[in-house]
Amino acid sequence: MIQLKNIFRWYNSGANRNFVLRDISLDIKEGEFVSIMGPSGSGKSTLLHLLGMMDEPNEGEYLFLDQSVLKIKEKQRSELYKKHIGFVFQAYHLIDELTVYENIETPLLYHGISSSERKSMVADILDRFNIVGKKDLFPNQLSGGQQQLVGIARAIITNPKLILADEPTGNLNSKQGEEIMELFKTLNAEGVTIIQVTHSEKNAEYGSRIINLLDGRIEKV
Amino acid sequence: MFNNFLKIALRNLKRNKVYSFINIIGLAVGMAVAMLIGLWIYDELSFNKSFQNYDRLAIVMQNQTFNGKVGSQTAVPYLMADEIRKTYGSDFKYVSMSSWNGKHVLSFGEKKIAQSGNYFEPQITEMLSLKMLKGTRKALKETHSIILSESVAKALFDKADPMDKLLKIDNNFTVKVSGVYEDLPFNSDFQDLNFIAPWDLYINDNNWPEKTTDPWRSNAFQAFAQIADHADMDKVSVKIKDVKLKRVSKVNAAFKPEVFLHPMKKWHLYSEFKDGKNVGGRIQFVWLFGIIGSFVLLLACINFMNLATARSEKRAKEVGIRKAIGSMRSQLIGQFFSESVLVSVFALLLSLVLVQLTLPYFNQLSNKQISILWTSPLFWTSGISFSLFTGLIAGSYPALYLSSFQPVKVLKGTFQAGRFASAPRKVLVVLQFTVSITLIIGTIIVFQQIQFAKNRPSGYDRSGLINILMNTPDFKGHYNALRNDLLKTGAVAEMSQSSGPTTGISAINNGYEWDGKDPSIQGNLGTVAITHDFGKSIGWTFAAGRDFSRNFSTDSSGIILNEAAAKFMGFKDPIGKTVKADGKPYKVIGVIKDMVMESPYQPVFRTVYMLDYEWANFINLKINPKMSSSQALAKIESVFKKYNPSAPFDYWFVDDEYARKFGDEERIGKLAGVFTVLAIFISCLGLFGLASFVAEQRTKEIGIRKILGASIFNVWRLLSKDFVSLIIISLLISAPAAYLFMNNWLQKYEYRTEISWWIFLVSGMGAMAITLLTVSFQAIKAAVANPVKSIRTE
Repeated sequence: MIQLKNIFRWYNSGANRNFVLRDISLDIKEGEFVSIMGPSGSGKSTLLHLLGMMDEPNEGEYLFLDQSVLKIKEKQRSELYKKHIGFVFQAYHLIDELTVYENIETPLLYHGISSSERKSMVADILDRFNIVGKKDLFPNQLSGGQQQLVGIARAIITNPKLILADEPTGNLNSKQGEEIMELFKTLNAEGVTIIQVTHSEKNAEYGSRIINLLDGRIEKV
Repeated sequence: MFNNFLKIALRNLKRNKVYSFINIIGLAVGMAVAMLIGLWIYDELSFNKSFQNYDRLAIVMQNQTFNGKVGSQTAVPYLMADEIRKTYGSDFKYVSMSSWNGKHVLSFGEKKIAQSGNYFEPQITEMLSLKMLKGTRKALKETHSIILSESVAKALFDKADPMDKLLKIDNNFTVKVSGVYEDLPFNSDFQDLNFIAPWDLYINDNNWPEKTTDPWRSNAFQAFAQIADHADMDKVSVKIKDVKLKRVSKVNAAFKPEVFLHPMKKWHLYSEFKDGKNVGGRIQFVWLFGIIGSFVLLLACINFMNLATARSEKRAKEVGIRKAIGSMRSQLIGQFFSESVLVSVFALLLSLVLVQLTLPYFNQLSNKQISILWTSPLFWTSGISFSLFTGLIAGSYPALYLSSFQPVKVLKGTFQAGRFASAPRKVLVVLQFTVSITLIIGTIIVFQQIQFAKNRPSGYDRSGLINILMNTPDFKGHYNALRNDLLKTGAVAEMSQSSGPTTGISAINNGYEWDGKDPSIQGNLGTVAITHDFGKSIGWTFAAGRDFSRNFSTDSSGIILNEAAAKFMGFKDPIGKTVKADGKPYKVIGVIKDMVMESPYQPVFRTVYMLDYEWANFINLKINPKMSSSQALAKIESVFKKYNPSAPFDYWFVDDEYARKFGDEERIGKLAGVFTVLAIFISCLGLFGLASFVAEQRTKEIGIRKILGASIFNVWRLLSKDFVSLIIISLLISAPAAYLFMNNWLQKYEYRTEISWWIFLVSGMGAMAITLLTVSFQAIKAAVANPVKSIRTE
């Protein structure tokens, strides 16, 4: 599903090049559950953003579903992203002005899905995540775990093939964290590919594969 | 999708009450100002347009040259219409002579009202396309007839049928009502033409044709014309140029009379002439207010853009999320545009309310009868497209700017909007304050000019002085009796009569000769006929010689000059010199200090005062200063009832009439003042909002500074400093701009104030004080906040 070939990412600061990623090559197959680990500044988030098409490498090649992401036009890339990828953030990043229901509904708006269909899709997800009672609350009325649940619901409502999660449990206590990881596991079992960035060994264990990054290089595969 | 946009826009508005308030109020005030000005301009441009023959009507005017100076006037000889008809008949559909619109007494039995009206030839009904409610447009064919406006007919006859009733005009002519016409529109030059009587009645009653030996010499009347249906106004105007020159005597030909047509289209906005050329007029105010209106609206839009970009940091996160969950950039642009359009639509609604509420005051201030054109499609299309346009313009910067954010940067928290956006924001603030300060300076100078002219010594004492028009023949021959009766009441200190009120010179005679006159000089001087008691009643002062006195019987051939006249005639010692008026010799017995009778902005015109008890039209009364004016007026009225029983007692205070000379300027000054205050208000709203965002943005910095020992004053200075420097830049730009503009404006007044440096200082200080007050509120709020709390916000 995903092939990275000799990816480099650097920033220029003055005359120096600061390398964030060096020569990353990586294959991820559909249905995998990959955990990316590594100390702060090792390039985990950058790698995740590259995979999520929110950032571009300076060198290298990126194939997503056999399409060369870097060679297609911006618009096609957004379409590709919109169709196949869902993002889950550490800080949840819900829209404060919208209710739980509306937050989950928003991606469907951008997908141009009809109103009646949206209603049933959101209702299904709310039901599945057991948050029907919370649907009219605003994000600041929820606990962190509940907010992240909404964040995930929002990410999967468009049925993406791939979920990218950037330290999804980083702001949660351990019990909430466990629930979220269990949820990921279930989703993975249903066939969704998951790539998560995490600090926690324990959470990494949920995955089928662990990639360790150090100073922008993959340590062992 | 749109619903979602709307929902989030509404919630955003609700959440940020201060911000929304500033945005909507600011924009609404700006729109209301623009709308009022727009309505005002519309009214000005549609002046006289209600007349069907708008494009073909004109007034006949003439240029004459006196001592090398070309003057333009509407006054023409009484044969003008006849001559034009005779010689250029094919170019004109109608020509009509007329007198001057003025107040006359209409009496029906015991009912007497003073109404303004005029004498015209019968074809005027066709020319003005009068809507006849009773009778026909042929109603003036009969010499002893009159047609009334609807409101006058109602005032005189109430519900009774006015047709064929006999009226008296000025207790002089008896006329039969032969028609009633719909009142003429307020925004027209004939707004107070409340009755029309036949010209023949008027001209023959005065025995004008018999009395005048040279009918082409005196210019005492007006002529209105309607050109033929397919004629060209400019061509016809050129054609009739010599119509008078061909007829006048040699002496009068020296004044080079050139006749031309001044089209109705230009009466209102292009009424001023200089050196015989049409040089504009009120059109300058249309431009001026148009510019002010656009600027005020621009200020409001700037607020909108400024606040939206200042808020961009707060909205950045939302933009990032939306992009991360699949929003296209165009969809974000759509979202921000719909938010700004929503605000501008709210503002439009609010501005309609504001305009509706303030229109009565605005009408009073501008002397208009404007109303919101609720039923006009033009009004709605322009109002709505205007609000959409404002929304789009105001929203464009935030929409394009916010939607360009990179989601990764925003979500990672490395995004810094403030630094990038602050430069354009500063430019906008400078623009706002440049406009505001320019308006402040301009308004101060307008008021200073008015005050300057008001402080000009008028040369006579206006306090307690009233004028009464001798509107019926009943006054004739009772001068001494009337004066004695009035003095006996104790209410009147002095009474006199004159050929005109002290607030104008109604006659100019071209036929003066004097000792040692340079033959190349044309002897045209203002001429005022007075009675012996005139000087005492108005309290004029002498530079040389003495006033008229009953003790000198020779005074009947004596004259009094004003200083301007003495200087014009070149007299070193004027007393005793001989001056001939139309060949008749007079001796100069006195020279008065110049009196401001005409425009207070112009030099006093050379004027001759002579005794003439026949040529009297006005009564001047000096009220006894020891008596209250209401008490005095009651006593005076009872005397007038006796001498002038057929007319209502109608009088006016000279002071009020004198004040009207400043009317135009004061109206402009007041309007400009109001708009200036609103412009400052809008600018301050924006500044307030901006200051609050800057304070919010720097919360952490302020917290750290306070922990390091900064005092409240230090923090206040830190936050205010930036704004103060912006005001200084604005002042540097606006001062020269305002100076140039106002200096140019002052040039049209010969008697004008100096633009002094303190105006700029005061304006600058004023703007600074207002800015500091506005900014300090936020700065002090930020400065006194608990630093521990503010540091925790990160």
